[in-house]
This record gives sequence, C-alpha cells and structure tokens, in this order.
Amino acid sequence: MPPPSSDSGAGGFGGSIEGLYPFLYAGDSDVESVLGEVRRSTEEKAAQTLDLRLRMLDEYAEEIVACAAAMVRRFARGGKLYAFGNGGSSTDAEGLVQAFLQPPAGGSPEEGAPAGGWRPLPAGCLTADVACVTALSNDVGFEVIFARQIAAAGRPEDVAVGLSTSGGSDNVLAGIQEAKQRGLLTVGFAGYEGGRLGELAASGVLDHLFVVPSSSIHRIQESQTTVYHVLWELTQRGLAIQEATP
Amino acid sequence: MEAVLKEALTAARARRGGPGQALLGDAEAVARACHDMAQRFHQGGKLIVFGNGGPSTDAQHVSVEFVHPVVVGKRALPATSLTSDAATLTGVANRDGFAEVFAYQLPILAAEADMALGLSSDGDCANVRRGLETGRELDLLTVALVGGDGGAIAASPAVDHVLTAHTADPLVAKELHVTLYHILWELVHVFFEQPGVLEPEEVS
Repeated sequence: MPPPSSDSGAGGFGGSIEGLYPFLYAGDSDVESVLGEVRRSTEEKAAQTLDLRLRMLDEYAEEIVACAAAMVRRFARGGKLYAFGNGGSSTDAEGLVQAFLQPPAGGSPEEGAPAGGWRPLPAGCLTADVACVTALSNDVGFEVIFARQIAAAGRPEDVAVGLSTSGGSDNVLAGIQEAKQRGLLTVGFAGYEGGRLGELAASGVLDHLFVVPSSSIHRIQESQTTVYHVLWELTQRGLAIQEATP
Repeated sequence: MEAVLKEALTAARARRGGPGQALLGDAEAVARACHDMAQRFHQGGKLIVFGNGGPSTDAQHVSVEFVHPVVVGKRALPATSLTSDAATLTGVANRDGFAEVFAYQLPILAAEADMALGLSSDGDCANVRRGLETGRELDLLTVALVGGDGGAIAASPAVDHVLTAHTADPLVAKELHVTLYHILWELVHVFFEQPGVLEPEEVS
C-alpha cells in the first residue's frame, strides 16, 4: 500500500470507489497498516512541532523579551491590547485576548506567576463583534474590518497584535498600518518567510514581528500559540516588577 | 527588568519540553480516534465541538479546520462549534444554568452518526462533561481533549476517546490541544484516501 500523501486530493475518493467495489476493501490488515502509518505520522508531527516551538523561543528570545518589556510600558500607561486575524488566526486572536482579560485561575510560582498571581488586563478581539465586522465588510470592504475599528478605538498607549500565517492578509496589514499611524505598539505574527508583514517590519511599521519558519499552516499556528502565551506570561512578570520598583 | 524576563522565558521554555515530548507517547490513541472519526464522517456524521474560555476559541478553530481545509484539495467535512452563538449560550445559561449550555443544544442539533468533541484544560468543566454524557445518550462518538490528570471527564465512562495534554498548565495544555486537533484533522483525511479501511455503510 502506498504511504498516505498529505497533499493528494481526497475529493472523489472515499465515496465513489468504495461505492463501486464495496467488498474489495474490507480487510483488517489494511486497517492495521493505515493505523500504523497514522501513528508514525502523529509521532513525527508531534516531534516537529516541539522542535519548532523550542527553536522559536531560542531564536526569538531577545525579541520576545523586548516586545514584552514594550507591552509592559503600554499597559502601565493604561493601554489596552487589540488582537485580530482571519480564520484559525481569528480564534488565536480571541484566545490571546482571553488570556489577558481572564488569566488562568490561581497561578503558582512554578507556573511562572508573580507573587500576587496573574492579573487581568484590558484587551479586545476585533473579530468578536459580528455586527461591526459585517457592517464594515458590507458597506466598505473586508480589507478595512480591523483598520476602521483601530481608527475608532485605538489610542497611542495601546497595543495592536495582528496574526497571520501567510503574512499577507490585506485586512491584517491595513490594521497594523492604521495602528502605527496612531502611535500604537505594533506586533505581528507570520509564517513562511514573513510575507508582506516582513516588509512592514523592515520599514519600521511593525515594531515586533515573529516569523515561524515553516510552510505548514498547522505548525505555524502551533508555534505562534506558544510565542503569544510566553509573551503574555512575560508581560505579567514585567508588570509585577514595574510595580515593585517605584 | 530584561534579565528577569529572560529568566522567565527560559523557565517557560523548560515547562514545554516534557509535555511536548509526552505527546509522542499518545500516537496510538490519536490514531484510534482518527479512525473512529473518519468512520463517522464516512457515515455522513458531523463534528460538534465545545469548550470554555480559551478552549471555546479552540472549538471554533476545530470547526473551521474541518469546514474550510487549509490544504487545497482536501474535502470539506461538516463541523460546528456550540460556543459561537452568544444568544443561545446566554439564554440557556440564564434559564437552565451554565452546566447545561452544551447538553441542551446537542439533542436538538445532533443526528445519529455525529460526533461530540469536548475540550477542557483540567478535565473538570461540568458543562463539557454534561455535553459528552448527553452525546453518549444520543449514541454519538464522544472525544475529549483534556489536560492535567484528565479530571472527571477522563474518568467518565461516557467518553470513547480521551486525548490528554500531560501538563497542569492550562496554556501549555491549550498549545498541545492545537497540535492534537490539527493532527486529528489531517489524519482523518488519511483514512479517506485509503477507502478500504472504512466500513461499507450498513444496509438495514
């Protein structure tokens, strides 16, 4: 049996061939062989993603520390964090905002928490308001859904976090550009080689950019999740230090 | 401040190695779950996903993963999350209590071949457990992504497949859940590409 190909089209396969020859394909040995293939593939992907996550934390160590320190300064000024992205990245934007607004319960020093525990911080997800997103899409266009919200609510002490896997989502780019114009701290997440978000970082529009060097959207998102969780944690730690030293 | 943050980053990195490595040991459980899920999709079933807080965003992520595949050529498969409809969530929570928000929706929205997938970082979310138990009563395939010791959800006889992130840290658990459901999505498709391994639909 040929090994499963991750990019072959599955479209007309499952139903039609089996529909024609339903009894040719029922064999326990086939099931066991594919299960074995799937098991090996699971191990391979789990190992790849762990390696990529740890590499991101190593290679971007200084950038993560610098970005967290900058976010601490914004929150200390009363700033709020806005996050945005499309599709899976929209759920990451929500997840990031949720961590800021409602941190995990408890928070022990073993989990990296400062002495006073995790603290809630103001944050908002620009994909959550369906009325706003559909109104802007319908009346103006999908590329402005984040930029217009930043223009309405953003203040110079705030933080804008744009998440993309390709680095090329028009509405994320527009949101970052609008945020920079208004003096917000701008943070971006991308994959591949950074795409157009990479260009924004090179021209100074993006203050901090984290590029996961992979061409798998899944592995990119998985490493992005780790990086923004660590950014969240370091921001918490930094704010505790900031308060302890007048 | 930078020195302390650098130290915190090193500690955060260290907390991710063990649980990330432990995931490799669960490959067999992942493979079995993929196979059963592929069978259900093959029978025309849909995937119904739910969770609280951070995991509620994962529920939506799982749903979009199946409905709109990122890999060109993969078929769209039916999935829905029970967390995106604030009107229903708050309506049920207000009238029946928060523990019922998912269990209430399932009998109305689920059909026979469907699957219920619940996410809970500590395995103790009452509404996720209630959702999975209701799924079992409806003969759905029940799958749970949990963390820590798995809590009451992992211990429940109502759950067919328990996949565990071996960490008590809810954020690290979430990171591993993202990997787990990406793998579930991708490898469910492997069974579709090998048509012999899915049972022909039963003729009654």
